[in-house]
Amino acid sequence: MRLALGIALVALALALPAAAQQWGGRPWHQLTPEEQQRAWQNYQRYQQLPEQRQRMIERRYQQFQALPPQEQQRLRQNYDAYRGLDPGQRREFVEKYRRWKSGRP
Amino acid sequence: MRCGRAQKHMTAAVDGELGPRQRGALDRHLAGCDPCRRELAATERTLRALDALPMERAVSDGLEQTTLRRVRLAAAEEEERAHRRWRLWLPIPAFAVATVAVLVLAVGILTRTGEAPAPRAVASAPLKPSAERLARAQPAPPTRRPRAEARQAVEPPAEPPAELAAAPDLFMNLPILKNMERLEHFEAIQTTTLDDETPSGQAEPSSG
Repeated sequence: MRLALGIALVALALALPAAAQQWGGRPWHQLTPEEQQRAWQNYQRYQQLPEQRQRMIERRYQQFQALPPQEQQRLRQNYDAYRGLDPGQRREFVEKYRRWKSGRP
Repeated sequence: MRCGRAQKHMTAAVDGELGPRQRGALDRHLAGCDPCRRELAATERTLRALDALPMERAVSDGLEQTTLRRVRLAAAEEEERAHRRWRLWLPIPAFAVATVAVLVLAVGILTRTGEAPAPRAVASAPLKPSAERLARAQPAPPTRRPRAEARQAVEPPAEPPAELAAAPDLFMNLPILKNMERLEHFEAIQTTTLDDETPSGQAEPSSG
C-alpha cells in the first residue's frame, strides 16, 4: 500500500512541471538566465507604465493565453517581422496603422 | 557595428529587447555616429506617438466572458478526449514499471552525487496567474530613472518580486502584448494603401 502511494507521489511530481507548462507558461526558475533577464527588464518597464495601461496589458495577457498555440505563434512571427522593419518601413507602417485604425468602425 | 545594422536594431532597442552585448555594440556605435543617434531619437518619438494612440475599444464584459468560456470549454473537452485516449492506450502495469524505473534512476543519481539539489528560490510560485492576483500584488512605486542608470539594473534579483514570479510569461511577452492589436492585424495593416501611393499629378476623372 505504501509502495503504491509512493509511486503515485513520484508520478505526480514528474507530471507537475509538464502541467505547469501547459497551464500558464514556465515558472520563473525554469527560465534561462537570458529569459530571466529579459523578463526582469520588461518587468521594470511595466512598472513605469500608467496604471490604466498596466490593466490593459493584463487583460491582453489573459486574451493571449486563451489564444490557440498557432495564433500565439502567428503573433510572435508578426512581432519578429515588425521588429525587423527598417526606419523607413517603420514610419510607413505607422502611417498605415493610423490610416487602417481610422477606417475601422 | 555599421549604420545599417544599428538601424535594424533600433526598434528592439527602444522596446528593451536587445541583449546586453548587442545593446553595448549599439551604444558604442551611437557614441560615434550622429545620424544614427538622430535616427534612434526619431524612432523613440515615433513609437511613443504610436503608444499614445487610443487603444482598441474594450469588448463588453459579457462578450469577453462568453468567448473565454467557450474557448476554455473547447480546450477542456479536447484535454478530456486526449486523457481518455491516453488512459485507453497506456496499460497500468507498463506505467507502474516505468515509474519504478524512474524512481530507481533518481535514487541512483542522488546516491551517486551524495547531495540533494538546492531548493529553488521561487519554488512556491503559483502556476497560473490571474488578473485578480496580479491586481492584488503590490507593485513597487513607479520610479523614472535615467536611461543609463536603468540599463545598469539588468541583472535580475536572486528572488524576483511576487508579481514577476507569478507571471513571468506576461513579462516575457510584454512587447507583444503592448503591440497586440498591431500584430493581430499586421497583414491587413501592411496592405493598407496610403494616399501618396497613388500616382501624383493625375487629374481626377471628371464625372460629366
